[in-house]
Amino acid sequence: MKYLEKPIKEINDLLKKGTIKPIDLVEEAFERIESDKDLNAYITLNKEEALEKARELEGKEVDNLLFGIPIAIKDNILTKDLRTTAASHILDNFIPIYDATVVEKIKEKNMIIIGKTNMDEFAMGSSSRTSYFGAPKNPWNNNKISGGSSGGSATTIAARHVPFALGSDTGGSIRQPASYTGIVGMKPTYGRVSRYGVIAFASSLDQLGPMTQNVLNNALLLNVISGHDSHDMTSSHREVEDYTRLIGKDIKGKKIAVPKFLMSDIVDSEIIEKIESVIEMLKENGAVVDYVDMKYLDNAVTLYQIIAMGEASSNLARFDGIRYGLSAKDPKSHEDLYLETRREGFGKEVKRRIMVGSYLLSGDNAKTYYNKALSIRDDMATEFDKVFEKYDYVIGPTTTTTAYNLDDPMDDPSKSFMDDVLVIPVNMAGLPGLNIPVGFDKNHMPIGMHIIGNKFQEAEMYRLGSFIEKELDLDLNPKGGK
Amino acid sequence: MKDRLTKEEVLHVADLARIKVNEEEIEKYQVELKQLLDDVEKVNDVVGYDEEILIAPWDHDADLRADEVGEMINKDAVLKNAPSHSGNYITVPVVIGESEGA
Repeated sequence: MKYLEKPIKEINDLLKKGTIKPIDLVEEAFERIESDKDLNAYITLNKEEALEKARELEGKEVDNLLFGIPIAIKDNILTKDLRTTAASHILDNFIPIYDATVVEKIKEKNMIIIGKTNMDEFAMGSSSRTSYFGAPKNPWNNNKISGGSSGGSATTIAARHVPFALGSDTGGSIRQPASYTGIVGMKPTYGRVSRYGVIAFASSLDQLGPMTQNVLNNALLLNVISGHDSHDMTSSHREVEDYTRLIGKDIKGKKIAVPKFLMSDIVDSEIIEKIESVIEMLKENGAVVDYVDMKYLDNAVTLYQIIAMGEASSNLARFDGIRYGLSAKDPKSHEDLYLETRREGFGKEVKRRIMVGSYLLSGDNAKTYYNKALSIRDDMATEFDKVFEKYDYVIGPTTTTTAYNLDDPMDDPSKSFMDDVLVIPVNMAGLPGLNIPVGFDKNHMPIGMHIIGNKFQEAEMYRLGSFIEKELDLDLNPKGGK
Repeated sequence: MKDRLTKEEVLHVADLARIKVNEEEIEKYQVELKQLLDDVEKVNDVVGYDEEILIAPWDHDADLRADEVGEMINKDAVLKNAPSHSGNYITVPVVIGESEGA
């Protein structure tokens, strides 16, 4: 059985003709997942419910391309009656009582939720190793990380378990694991996708997005999850367009900026060479590419540390052991209940970030750090505005290295931030960012290119992404055979 | 420049964050938190920006919903996730009198 690796339109045709049923796809997905248990891609599987849903769908009309198709959901997105932990001990018994808006939208299309994917605890990390449930493994080399924080979603997509997954991206958490595992990952414009029902990390940066094996599937899932939501006042009223409409179109005359910082010596030379070869290919096909100077890109990690840790400390104040989640046994007092629950429930990385974040927002520190970071953030966004007056895209590598070893030391508290140095500016400015696989390093680990678009230009980004995908025609199946 | 926070500084930060820390953890945090605080100190080296701030990159003004009763969350469902409850109430340790004891 190999239906799940067929192009989505073929699967849809087979479903329409009745050659296959949704349950065939669900059973195939679980066979694949179960034979790859070692990859640790999932925290919770939804097998019984998924099979039941598939049976339910048998009598229904196949009314859209994603009907009956299995999808994996990152475990910081609420799924009614299906355990949602954010990979934290503090939520390891939490059963949501409502669906996130994106989950509602997915269910409306009759997609079938297969399970909840592994991730860094509360999406804080860049290797998924801060998960309370252990790290997922990279399908290209099981001794390597899948990246993070959406490492489980990246793993299950790269390993071809299911064709669709949702991730979240606060500072690169969709794009960086997508780069490490050779898949397509989109962080949409801030406000394009509702954040209602997502366990908040840093609310001014968080955004949900699709993770898939190819550009077309990515755009199809973005079509489904986008749109205004009265439950999220930051969600945009802008009309949802068909994000597939420019796929396969020409790139002749398109103007591309390459910020010099993104191609500087902080990036491995093998990656630079690969990106340069893609740039040459784009030029040969009529694109105009300029190397440009952009201010503040090298400050992005510092801004991110201040803003993300600050917002996280506030968002995670809700975990108090009272209303839901872990609750410390026999507390001496009310105060003690908070202190003990949070000591027991949060992992090391999360505690560090909450502590530093609380400090940065306390008293005069808010002026010294937080307000300054917001000022520089504004100027950084203006820098992007200026570039987009002249250019259609900004491109560069997604990561400075390819995936590193699972057993590399975790004792450097700055490391998880530095892994995302090239992708964080996009979250700061609220722009969309897309990872496209462009090749492999000498150890055959995937290399990704980062395409940044202007706000709400996701369709244009898929144009460039699909062009690169078609020209390079890479074998992106870790087991070979496309 | 000192390479670690004092114990008191760590305890202050842990108190702000409402997280209990033990002796062993305090020692680690003295170094780790100092490193992160050194990282964020770099914000003071940046020059040339103006005073405008960007709190969140929205594309529109906040639109607030009309103040009308909408769908409500089911009380029984809420209580299912509460670690401890009695009737319609979530139970917590005794609060009154706590401050005198502390």
